[in-house]
Amino acid sequence: MSTVFVEPDLVLPPRGGTEPRTVLPATDEPALLGTPRLRSLRGVPRDELVNLVGAGISAVAMALLLFGRLTPLRGNLGFVVVAYGIFLATYALLVSLTEDRPAVVDRIMAVVLSSAAAVAGLALVSVVVYTLWRGRAALVKANLYTQDMSSAGPLDPLTVGGIGHAIVGSLVIIALSLVLTVPLGLACAVFLNETRSRAAQLVRTIVDAMTALPSILAGLFIFATWILILGFERSGVAASLAVSLMMLPIIIRSADVVLRLVPGNLREAALALGAPQWRTVWHVVLPTARSGLATSVILGVARGVGETAPVLLTAGFSSTINVNPLSGPMVSLPLATFEFVRSPQQELVARGFATAAVLMVVVLVLFALARIIGGRPAGSVTSRQARRLAARSVKDLARIESLGGPPPRIPSAPVTEATA
Amino acid sequence: MSSVRARGSAIAAVAACLLSVLVLRPPAEAQESYQRISGEGSSWAAGAIDAMRVNVKQFGITVDYNPSGSSAGRKNFLNGTVDFAASDIPFQFRPEDGSAPENPAPGSYAYIPVTAGGTAFMYNLKINGQRVTNLRLSGENVAKIFTGAITEWNDPALQADNPGLTMPARKIVPVVRSDGSGSSAQFTRWLIHLHGGLWDDYCRRSGRAPACGFTSYYPTIAGMIAQSGDLGVSGYVAQSFAEGAIGYVNYSYAIGAQFPVAKVLNTAGYYTEPTPENVAVSLLKARINTDAGSDEYLTQILDDVYTDPDPRSYQLSSYSYFILPTTIQGQFNEAKGKTLGAFAYYAMCQAQQQSASLGYSPMPINLVQASFDQIRKIPGVEVQSIDITKCKNPTFSADGTNLLAANAPQPQPCDKQGPTQCATGSGGVKQVATPVAPSAAGVEAAGPAASGAVTASASGDGAAADPAASGDLAAAPVCDPDTGVCTGGSGASAALGSAVSAAATPTMLSDSSGWSSVQTLAAVVILLTLGLVFAPAAAWRAFGEGRR
Amino acid sequence: MTAVTTVYEGTPVAAPPPRSLAAALDRGDRWFRRGSLGAGLVVLVIMAAVGLFLTVEALQALRTTGFSFLTTAEWQPDRGQFGIAAVLTGTVLIALVAVSVALPISMGTALFIAEVAPPRLRATFVAMVDLMAAVPSVVYGLWGLFLFQGQVVGLSRWLSTWLSWIPIFRVDGADPTDPLASASVYTASTFIAGLVVALMVMPIQCSIMREVFSQVPVGEREGAFALGATRWGMIRIVTLPFGRGGVIGGTMLGLGRALGETIAVYLIISPRFDVNFHILEAGSNSVSSLIALRFGESSGFGLSALMAAGLALFAMTLAVNFTAAGFIARSRSGASSEA
Repeated sequence: MSTVFVEPDLVLPPRGGTEPRTVLPATDEPALLGTPRLRSLRGVPRDELVNLVGAGISAVAMALLLFGRLTPLRGNLGFVVVAYGIFLATYALLVSLTEDRPAVVDRIMAVVLSSAAAVAGLALVSVVVYTLWRGRAALVKANLYTQDMSSAGPLDPLTVGGIGHAIVGSLVIIALSLVLTVPLGLACAVFLNETRSRAAQLVRTIVDAMTALPSILAGLFIFATWILILGFERSGVAASLAVSLMMLPIIIRSADVVLRLVPGNLREAALALGAPQWRTVWHVVLPTARSGLATSVILGVARGVGETAPVLLTAGFSSTINVNPLSGPMVSLPLATFEFVRSPQQELVARGFATAAVLMVVVLVLFALARIIGGRPAGSVTSRQARRLAARSVKDLARIESLGGPPPRIPSAPVTEATA
Repeated sequence: MSSVRARGSAIAAVAACLLSVLVLRPPAEAQESYQRISGEGSSWAAGAIDAMRVNVKQFGITVDYNPSGSSAGRKNFLNGTVDFAASDIPFQFRPEDGSAPENPAPGSYAYIPVTAGGTAFMYNLKINGQRVTNLRLSGENVAKIFTGAITEWNDPALQADNPGLTMPARKIVPVVRSDGSGSSAQFTRWLIHLHGGLWDDYCRRSGRAPACGFTSYYPTIAGMIAQSGDLGVSGYVAQSFAEGAIGYVNYSYAIGAQFPVAKVLNTAGYYTEPTPENVAVSLLKARINTDAGSDEYLTQILDDVYTDPDPRSYQLSSYSYFILPTTIQGQFNEAKGKTLGAFAYYAMCQAQQQSASLGYSPMPINLVQASFDQIRKIPGVEVQSIDITKCKNPTFSADGTNLLAANAPQPQPCDKQGPTQCATGSGGVKQVATPVAPSAAGVEAAGPAASGAVTASASGDGAAADPAASGDLAAAPVCDPDTGVCTGGSGASAALGSAVSAAATPTMLSDSSGWSSVQTLAAVVILLTLGLVFAPAAAWRAFGEGRR
Repeated sequence: MTAVTTVYEGTPVAAPPPRSLAAALDRGDRWFRRGSLGAGLVVLVIMAAVGLFLTVEALQALRTTGFSFLTTAEWQPDRGQFGIAAVLTGTVLIALVAVSVALPISMGTALFIAEVAPPRLRATFVAMVDLMAAVPSVVYGLWGLFLFQGQVVGLSRWLSTWLSWIPIFRVDGADPTDPLASASVYTASTFIAGLVVALMVMPIQCSIMREVFSQVPVGEREGAFALGATRWGMIRIVTLPFGRGGVIGGTMLGLGRALGETIAVYLIISPRFDVNFHILEAGSNSVSSLIALRFGESSGFGLSALMAAGLALFAMTLAVNFTAAGFIARSRSGASSEA
């Protein structure tokens, strides 16, 4: 066996991407060691595909042979593990027929990495599909979304009662939390970034520390202070306080990061034009970071709406719809899920899974929203926003002209461009 | 600027959402004069209370009930965070298990017994892959199971309780409550009174000594599962992987989960289950505190229930209580008192007629009347003068006797302790019978001769139940695929002679531990197979490389 | 060098004072300053209040037990016998199981997304990981309780049968030779809870690692390729060393999250109060599920004891998180990445 480490004289740069690439000069000289093989760095060529499929088929076949035919091995998980092991071995062998050692290792590792991702994907799909499947009987009933459980006993069928109370409860709790956390969180993030206060570093450290606060402790704190010491009842307010306590550090931290990314020259330009600091923040910094801030708020909401532990301690339990966060227990979606599924009765368990599915959909929608909003870099605008900006600058132009100043030299060119 | 607008519109959207909710649902307070009340406590009684909650909805009464356990209910009542509590045991002024004493202000609360029921032993057991529905347990065996003295279902003592079943060599998994619970308190009180020795020993082993009084917090040892709430316990037992599990829950949970409960041997020598009728019979013996001035007015002393000689009685029957506020405290005010009063009246009167269908037992007339007096103490209550005969309570009769108890059916003869065993199911699976050995099936066969024979059989089973010999018991056609233990048999004589190990069914213990010849063989086969596939290719590659 | 010094030696000019750029603040700015400072201080006060309150409350319990708080396994605060030996062990074991399972998967997935996946699909995979992070923990708990537990019992049994010579895989009360042995001894265990928590922390770890891996300088990657490295060779000599800080930091952040997880653990485990290192055995405990179980029925002192346990947990997550932040910040990639 030749121990030559193949040094190809021609390496194709990886395809895709916009980074500057090293381009080697083409050479007409014949290769030193037979035909040089171009090493593929991306994609799966056809012979690889054949190798993969072949190895897969042979792995399954051999595992089938071993399981139940030749040896007393059994169990689904064992089958998968054995088949996977055989697959790797077969694939290594097939690749090694044509490739050298580093290439074989590369192929194997590519397969291993892909399977790690596949495991993760499988877990996600399994969680989502299983939840929907177990909840399907309840999910298709319209009363699930419109009724509460106040007139449904534990033995009632799925056609009676629903989770309206939990949906409303979640909405109220999260809305209240937003009212509490968004102004405070954003103001604090502004404080951390825009004012060179000596306290900023301390606040930042404390906020960092609080992101480590386990959610149950947020609940325990509100339970011990708001409910036991101050003597308020368990209610939507108590729950939203606990949820706010959890969301606040998350929002502050991510908003802090977003604000830090606002280019300094924008601020300086505003200040240089004579704008006071608050105008700079209000008209330049915050709008620039708008999408990032929205993302940070939505991420906080997604986290807060899915939290069970703080709500468990502070919201009480109810089966009746309650829109008043100040009095009476208020149930949120995760809490309702938690209470439903502990029951041994199949109907209630189905309701629990349906509640979980609704909760999951809510959170996933919020996340998708965050990605859509957050996906747009600072400064880029939608066509609607562009139209609005253009309209405003037309108005500004009219205002400036009415002031009687000299007419601008190129008055309408950028405006028409923007409107078009 | 646009960020402001974006945020503003987001807030507006949320507000609009809330508003629309408010508008779509006309505020309930406008139509009704009842303020919403909330209660917390017993999960044991939660089924009955939940039904009441659903039914009072029609009167515009909104009740929130959180079944988080009796201890939590009493605690939160004391904290003033709930308007009423439900508890299986009264306040613990002098707790016997070393927990902190509960000290409600004297005269600030009143008990009313709201429902009755039995603490049942729900189990998950299969023989031949078929669910057992007619398990019977003596009180001592129950105590031994929950104190770790019996760990296998085929223990001779359990086999003796169940002459008609061939108990499998499965491990018993006792499932207990992990939270502070009235069921645990009632159960441990029963244990202490009837099987104190077992309990003391267990208490020492679990590290609780010296505080070995009855406790709301069941001590656990390795091998036990602890779950919170009756829901948690019944939910665990009902899982398919929990075969061999047995847990204590209210009878209603077994019915809801459609699982059987163990019939427990009573003093009269009958195995009974806590049907509403049996509970009503048993609780005739409950000593009720009738001193209206006492802090514990209307509370129960169950010592005589444990030893009730009535053949229908169920030893673990008990009442569950509402704890009502009699002063303004915490969240509670007079407006809520009005709601609570109306709810309590409903609970004591109309609600009682349907409790039997849920697996609870209705209140007898004397307790209902006493409770009406207690309800008057709630601040803000609108006193109702209820014609007690209109309550349609099944226990009421013209002459004051407890009709439900008087008409309670006697147990079947096959439920008597001895050689016979009923095949009929129990708990939530009454309609599902479990085949019993012919020797134990016939009611006629309950003669002295047969009983002697079955005693022999039982002892023989006991010997054969040794796990090492579990493959021997094979004189019958129907065999457990897992153990090779066979049941049924061609006739009574075959079953009786089952201790003779003739024609043993070969059984493979496929899960045997350790490296044995089977594993060696398997390894060799695997290596050979892999070799067959890989060797040629590897060789080809090696030589191919060599040639190059 | 010397020439320069001689030039300046002759002219000993005092360093000019830094020019002051102070500007008079207008009224709006003064309010702005005050307002934002106020917001910062409010947040500071709230957060400090949480920490202080927990500490003060916990001290009441800690004073009565002293050091034995760390060594007692029982939890009977009203009898004065309570400690976090059992719950803390359980918490740490669950988190360790979670992280050791999640680490290879998350690292594999992160590398897959950063290096292997076709660029077209990369955004999809990133979204998938984000979605995983978004699924509420109660849903993972349900899934673990109803679906996963039944599947894992077989694995647990296999592990305990063949690997019981490793102490942590031993299961007391399990007899592998007994075909009727109840699967219950393998349920509600540290192992199962850990696996479910692993799914929860996996996406967190993965997204941090992916973030770091995606910042590998293009020049170094190209250089490795140019020298003939295969893709895996490039990962091994460029990506992994570059991202080491991110990998460690991400792992530790996941660990911090795993330590504090409540509901999924509460749903799955059967609480027990003894120090139990057998991760496959039924019964486990964690600080947060202890709090969820006992908060409602605890007396005042019991609540203080729960807070002491919570404080211990908080101290642990805090240490883990700050260590993680340190690792991420110190790593080569850390300057611009935000965990």
